[in-house]
Amino acid sequence: MPKQINVALIGNPNTGKTSVFNHLTGLNQQVGNYPGITVEKKEGICKLPRGLKAHILDLPGTYSLNASSLDENIVIELLLNKNDKDYPDVAVVVSDVENLKRNLLLFTQIKDLGIPTILVINMADRMERKGISLDVELMEKRLKTKIALVSARKKTGIEELKELIINYRQISSEPCVNASTIAPDYFDRLRKAFPNQSLYKLWLVITQDVNFGNLNRKTLEQTSDFQTKEKSELKRLQQKETIVRYQFINGVLKETFKKDITTAKDLRSRLDRVLTHQVWGYFIFFGILLLIFQAIYDWSSYPMDLIDTTFAFLGEWTKEVLPAGVFTNLISEGIIPGLGGIVIFIPQIAFLFLFISLLEESGYMSRVVFLMDRVMRRFGLSGKSVVPLVSGTACAIPAVMATRNIEDWKERLITILVVPFTTCSARLPVYLIIIALVIPNERVLGIFNLQGLTLMLLYLLGFGMSVFSAWVLDKILKIKSKTYFVIEMPDYKLPLFKNVAINVVEKTKSFVFGAGKIILAISIILWVLASYGPGDDFDNAEAIVTEQYGKNLSQEDFEKHVGSVKLENSYIGMMGKGIEPVVRPLGYDWKIGIAIVSSFAAREVFVGTLATIYSVGSDEEKTIKDRMAAETNPVLGGPLFNFASGISLLLFYAFAMQCMSTLAIVKRETNSWKWPILQLFVMSGIAYVAALTAFQLLK
Amino acid sequence: MMIQEILVFITFLIAVGFLVKKFFWKSPKKATGSESACGKSDCGCH
Repeated sequence: MPKQINVALIGNPNTGKTSVFNHLTGLNQQVGNYPGITVEKKEGICKLPRGLKAHILDLPGTYSLNASSLDENIVIELLLNKNDKDYPDVAVVVSDVENLKRNLLLFTQIKDLGIPTILVINMADRMERKGISLDVELMEKRLKTKIALVSARKKTGIEELKELIINYRQISSEPCVNASTIAPDYFDRLRKAFPNQSLYKLWLVITQDVNFGNLNRKTLEQTSDFQTKEKSELKRLQQKETIVRYQFINGVLKETFKKDITTAKDLRSRLDRVLTHQVWGYFIFFGILLLIFQAIYDWSSYPMDLIDTTFAFLGEWTKEVLPAGVFTNLISEGIIPGLGGIVIFIPQIAFLFLFISLLEESGYMSRVVFLMDRVMRRFGLSGKSVVPLVSGTACAIPAVMATRNIEDWKERLITILVVPFTTCSARLPVYLIIIALVIPNERVLGIFNLQGLTLMLLYLLGFGMSVFSAWVLDKILKIKSKTYFVIEMPDYKLPLFKNVAINVVEKTKSFVFGAGKIILAISIILWVLASYGPGDDFDNAEAIVTEQYGKNLSQEDFEKHVGSVKLENSYIGMMGKGIEPVVRPLGYDWKIGIAIVSSFAAREVFVGTLATIYSVGSDEEKTIKDRMAAETNPVLGGPLFNFASGISLLLFYAFAMQCMSTLAIVKRETNSWKWPILQLFVMSGIAYVAALTAFQLLK
Repeated sequence: MMIQEILVFITFLIAVGFLVKKFFWKSPKKATGSESACGKSDCGCH
């Protein structure tokens, strides 16, 4: 045995490698640079029992032997060059007990180079607190190595590590993963071309984009007639190798690593135990949801009233200060009420995103995803689908795009198809105004606001419908699938005010400006279509009213009736009358029908459309809510927006596929028109039947 | 009065042009690129 053993200390960043180095070398260490580069080189002497010494080289932290930085090149260059004076007799791979899966990738790669390798599992003192148990003996057997359980913090396990270093010759240098299985023919040819070289070493040289001293891909090609593969093919094989390694690591950890959350004692584990509990986890989650929706209603009512009144005043004021004429009317009756229909929802949307940001920032949202995974599995989906479904509460577009990380096609397709059922922020304005009109502002049990409860139920309805549809699609779609779900839970932390504020401002701004432009354009078109008409009836509205009611009407009533006749005979009135037979069974008049059709561009256009239609020809200073509340049902009499028609509208918007952009994205993601067309017809069909049933039962 | 009629007509044409451009002429790459997401840029969903 040599008097001095060369030891390379290798590991992922943040595994406590330097602490282990410090314990091994004490003050016997030197810090310098690697020749020609500014990367720090730390080396030291470790005194071992029986008068032996070890030269310890603390190599830069690296995640794998697939070099992507200068630091990583140093590690690979040393391990590939047997002539280097620092070439290790033994490699010590330091890992963190909580991140073994990620850390073992590097371990298996080093082991495959044929270097005797010791595995140090650091932070072993946390095992009890985290509820972790390891079958070290079995793990040693499966990884063909020796393991030292170390706590650099508590200075335990260091002497055992020194013993292992002394006895490094007893450690098998046999690889634990056979990388050649990824392309047997290719590796066979490689073996024949370079019979005296380590196969995995050759593979590493071939696949790296960088040159290692005298050993590089070109040299290999020039010194032999061996033909390597294209760069893209090599990358593909490299990815395949990583998958094979992780499959091996998963298998080892499944047998040897157990984490029992019920025995963990740290604060995070205690919190996780409650927040992800099979029963309490759901109670807490729904409790939090309830609080959020209550707060949205209670806190935002004052700013909303203020915005509503301001826009009503602004419309009237514009009429007074600008010269009388049709363009002034367009501004005061079309543009201002239309924009008011979106600005009014800023407070509620800002509060909603405030709460969502707080949940995300605190780390709780990941627990929700974990909780939901249990539910989703029963419906043919996994937790991977939860992320798109949760992000669908903001907007279906990024949610559909978020399905890209679902490998399984069937699961991805189902998720894409059901995501639009979740309540996106575009539905909020519709829900809020209808709820305000038809649900009494009362408290249940003295605590819960009935309107807030209704909003929460609509969110749950959307999520429930997504899950139910997924279950149905899982039964119908005959596509073979296999999937798994892994989530890394972040630590709990206090949300950063800056992050939360930026998120709220960005989301609200995007909602207002994104929707605002479309609403402004639609409001202008609607106003023009409502202010002009093709036939004689539109031009002779005054004469028709005089003929119908005589001259006994007050000036105010006369103008109201003239406005009504004009609206009915305008372009929009004629279009609305055309679709009225379809929407009448749902409890709507032609104006709501027009609002539904125009909101196909985007759901939130609904409120702006109604605000514009109801404002045309009106000189009164009224809020949107007041105007909608004053509308009467032309067939049944009484308020148009009553409980039956309100619930019918809420259900229609909960289920209908009212978003052109989502359809376009679904077409792109599925590369077919079949799925978005199916989505459009099925969702709209469900919406129509649900709205019809609700109105007919409740009227 | 005439000027106001012309202004309404121009505004109407601009509004129609904007919607047509937004929903029918928009480059699919721009509308659905990975950068597009609610909160970061206009994803076209509103």
